[in-house]
Amino acid sequence: MKKKKMVLSQETMDTDFIRKVETLSDTSVRSCFQCGKCSAGCPMATFMEHPPNRVMRLLQLGQWQRVLAGRSIWYCASCETCSTRCPNKVHLASIMDALRKLSWDAEGASKESYVQLANKLFLQNISTYGRQYEMRLAAVFNVKSGQFLKDMMLGPKLFAKGKLKMFQRKNKNLSEIQKIFSRIEEMRKKGEAL
Amino acid sequence: MSRIGVFICHCGENISRTVDVERVAQEVGRLPGVAFSSDYKYMCSDPGQTLLKKTIQDQKLSHVVVAACSPRMHEKTFRKAVEAAGLNPFLCEMANIREHCSWVHENIEEATVKATEIVGMMVERVKKNRVLPTITVPVTKRSLVIGGGIAGIQAALDIADAGHEVVLVEREPSIGGHMAQLSETFPTLDCSQCIMTPKMVDVANHPKIKLYTYSEIELVEGFIGNFQVTIKKKARSVDEDRCTGCGVCMTKCPQKKIPNKFDQNIGMRTAIYIPFPQAVPNTPVIDRENCTKFKTGKCGVCQKVCGPGAVDFEQEDRLIVEPVGAIVVATGFDLYTIDEKPKGSPIKGYGEFGHGKIPDVIDGMTFERLASASGPTGGKIVRPSDGKEPKQIVFIQCIGSRAREKGISYCSKVCCMYTAKHTMLYHHKVHDGQAYVFFMDARTPGKSYDEFWRRAIEEEEAVYIRGMVSRLYQKGDKIVVMGSDIAVGVQVEIEADMVVLATAIQPQKGADLLAQKLGISYDKYNFYSEAHAKLRPVECATAGIYLAGACQGPKDIPETVSQASAAAAKVMTLFSKDKLEREPIVARVREAGCVGCFACRKVCAYGAVEEKEIRDRQGNLIKVVAYVNPGVCAGCGTCQATCPSKCVELDGYTDEQVIAMIEAL
Amino acid sequence: MNDTLKYAYYPGCSLHASAGEYDLSTRELFHALGISLTEVPDWFCCGATPAHNVDELLSLSLCAKNLELAEQVEGDLAVACASCFSRLKFTQHTLEENVTKRKQVEKAIDAPVKLDGKVKHLLEILAKDLGLERLAASVSKPLAGLKVACYYGCLLTRPTDVPNLDCPEAPTIMERVVEAAGAEAVAWSHRLECCGANFTLSRPGVVLQLTNAILDSAKAAGADCVMVGCPLCHGNLDIRQKEIESVYTTSYNLPVFYLTQLVGLAVGLASEQLGLDAMIVNPTPLLKEKGLL
Repeated sequence: MKKKKMVLSQETMDTDFIRKVETLSDTSVRSCFQCGKCSAGCPMATFMEHPPNRVMRLLQLGQWQRVLAGRSIWYCASCETCSTRCPNKVHLASIMDALRKLSWDAEGASKESYVQLANKLFLQNISTYGRQYEMRLAAVFNVKSGQFLKDMMLGPKLFAKGKLKMFQRKNKNLSEIQKIFSRIEEMRKKGEAL
Repeated sequence: MSRIGVFICHCGENISRTVDVERVAQEVGRLPGVAFSSDYKYMCSDPGQTLLKKTIQDQKLSHVVVAACSPRMHEKTFRKAVEAAGLNPFLCEMANIREHCSWVHENIEEATVKATEIVGMMVERVKKNRVLPTITVPVTKRSLVIGGGIAGIQAALDIADAGHEVVLVEREPSIGGHMAQLSETFPTLDCSQCIMTPKMVDVANHPKIKLYTYSEIELVEGFIGNFQVTIKKKARSVDEDRCTGCGVCMTKCPQKKIPNKFDQNIGMRTAIYIPFPQAVPNTPVIDRENCTKFKTGKCGVCQKVCGPGAVDFEQEDRLIVEPVGAIVVATGFDLYTIDEKPKGSPIKGYGEFGHGKIPDVIDGMTFERLASASGPTGGKIVRPSDGKEPKQIVFIQCIGSRAREKGISYCSKVCCMYTAKHTMLYHHKVHDGQAYVFFMDARTPGKSYDEFWRRAIEEEEAVYIRGMVSRLYQKGDKIVVMGSDIAVGVQVEIEADMVVLATAIQPQKGADLLAQKLGISYDKYNFYSEAHAKLRPVECATAGIYLAGACQGPKDIPETVSQASAAAAKVMTLFSKDKLEREPIVARVREAGCVGCFACRKVCAYGAVEEKEIRDRQGNLIKVVAYVNPGVCAGCGTCQATCPSKCVELDGYTDEQVIAMIEAL
Repeated sequence: MNDTLKYAYYPGCSLHASAGEYDLSTRELFHALGISLTEVPDWFCCGATPAHNVDELLSLSLCAKNLELAEQVEGDLAVACASCFSRLKFTQHTLEENVTKRKQVEKAIDAPVKLDGKVKHLLEILAKDLGLERLAASVSKPLAGLKVACYYGCLLTRPTDVPNLDCPEAPTIMERVVEAAGAEAVAWSHRLECCGANFTLSRPGVVLQLTNAILDSAKAAGADCVMVGCPLCHGNLDIRQKEIESVYTTSYNLPVFYLTQLVGLAVGLASEQLGLDAMIVNPTPLLKEKGLL
């Protein structure tokens, strides 16, 4: 996919996709003139197959398949260094959020299952307990990712220091919190929100 | 009985696309007083003007209304045509149906109705127009040139060589500007001072150039052909007529470690100093802020050792008024600094590059001084921190320029070229060193420019990396450069010994204040605005004031010299006449009604209102009234609006004319 | 006693679990300084990074609801965790400017969105509201001789115009607070570099690489310890320090303090009040050596 020739035409450049990203991120995609300052300062660039400026380039050309299927966007740490330093005030970190959301919604296997799994479990904790249940987050992640022994050595030490709580009480207003989740889902079904 | 001719222009498609010009012509043709009404494609063209002239004669027209673009565009054109046809030009008016109608509306029906109303208004107005005689004023054939850099020098020499006197005013102790600071210039790599100093000497020796250095413009009064400029000659503390330029004072001065601005503060100077050895004039200046004598009252060695007795501690600033007919503004540029809050600038600094606090991160001009044979290191490229030769040197382009986030959107034009030049100078001096350049684009449009840039890469071994630098930080005595190469798609890290930033070109500090004194416009960056970007690039909208050089926008030396000569040519055109015709749109006081309250004088920005005594036949004073000097009046009309007894009228814009327009609506 | 300083307090999920000592030291310190903190009733997770990473609308809604809950308590909102601080400020910033998103959020939380409440990080409260002078005056045991590397991380100062805590590229607020406490703040190159944040769960290898660079820089600058204002940065630098040392075959032994722990020590609080025993890299030898314990 990555090396395939790009045949450009009005059909292959998905401008609808670009507009969606701009609406979600509230910033301009066309302002980027590929200076590379974002990639220069990105702490995660060495872990990404497409450094940030290349993700932007593919986005500018409407090549959503290449962007959403890859794992580059999932390696973004949301450190905001790119947004802070961009000479053209492009909020790249917000664009990454928008791309991740569109990838999250899109069908097809994503290559970055670990990060997405962690995100999924984190959000599940909110709708189940209200506050983060760190114990569950770590444990279920290990199980579902098949890494049963990950961070095993840390476990007892953290327990001893009182850093891992065994049980988590649910928030009193949990139903209110759950309604937020459901209302957003409704809005999306009705097309009132992206 | 008026016989008004109305000509509606299509302006190609500019007007006719939105306004139904034929209909307007028909509607207007029905108005009382209109003897002829028709439309034409391009009224300003040769056939259009011929049509105008022919119709005036054939139809025996008494007044003309041309409905077209803004009078700022073509009022002169049509008035000249009308005059050629034998009609007084001030009986011709323009109705603006382009900028005021077709260019700002989309609905054809509404626009056509509006256009008809606009033309109707002007028809009623023109009925009240009176014949106005032209006013002539004498032209002072002396020119002022503000700024003694290459632009000012070139303009001054051109005007002086044509036989007119030039007053050249320079703020620094010596002329030469930034070009004198450069080492070698692109694209030929010839020594900057070698080509410039002959011109500087020509200026000093020219019989027609009066040179004021260490001087500033204090006040500008008057108008085209007749300016009075007050120059403040700051006190050098040295008598220029007596000083021989021997330089002994400087060798004896005990204050030897004052940072020299000419050497970008890495070279030092004494308190009594000339900025560089080839200074013109070769007369020193005492920096009173740092001089021991002025700070504590002690010392005075320079005066003791001065043979001709030229040192004068009592010298004071002087104000001198020079009458001139034209002004050429050539104040040049300054470089952007990456400090936290660059002085006097709303533009942000670069925290990611250390806000200018990392000692071996310098700007392009500082590199020039290092490379210059007459610089503080004798032409050796060394680190300012420890004097060692840098073996890895990194150049970063576009610092401040093209960066909306920092506040500058424009491109500074010259940096791609001078950075390529820097890599070559470095390669010539540090044979075992490596230069890297982080860039976005290479802008090399001039003659031999691209070849020059390719030579830097292909022959002089500079490594050009397309990508920017995110951050610089110190690691021991090195500077870590975190950049990226977007062609390869990876991050790049270089441990540099020295980093040179190509900082943005900005107008000089105080450019806005000078513009206000002159009454010329400037843009949001303080660059001076030309009258028309394409067709009038060296003139200001303010008559009699011309622009040359980087004060109008970033440019390199060839362009600067061209522009300076162009401005000089404009000045010479002005001086080719002995008298200047002025528009007779001037104010006139009705002396019978004037009570002498002089409210008009208070609001006149041009100082055109004078006192006039009215006496009876016996010579007794009856009253003192206001009198508007038609040579000075700029026709703004403020006095007319201010006069409480309605005794001032602006010829060409009388109350009668304006009310006629309003009533026609 | 400063009766005038009252705040609503939003601890954030970590402070109730893995960063318990941050919560403890914050409460104890503020009590000692006479600043009142009242926890927002029924506050819940702000969504931190995972929420906005995949669903910005959810993130904005969760924060907006928490801001509404905070209105019930008198005073500005004091936030300890840099991530929660960032999300709350982002929510205010985004919803102020984007009317469409504001309407969507109002629908999601079924309440009007309140954006005029002030959200403040503890650093701001100590340095600006209380003021460095009053802070210095409350110091009874100055941390003389302690060299501290102040680690800002990402979200306290970035992006420009959102947190508005200090200059994004050259902040000094942490250094000023630590100097008011009598310690010496060292100048070091990695104080604004990312630690890898929540990749600690899904991709710890990333975190190890980034935090190694940070600790290496702190050590090279001669720091005795590191000070942070975020539980996630703390976790990565403290909990994983031994692992970093073993993977990169190096030795750091740099205790990682929360800002309230260091300031608390200077104000004269005891070790139990500051949760020093909860730190994985033991600070006791260092503090004893400097005569601070």
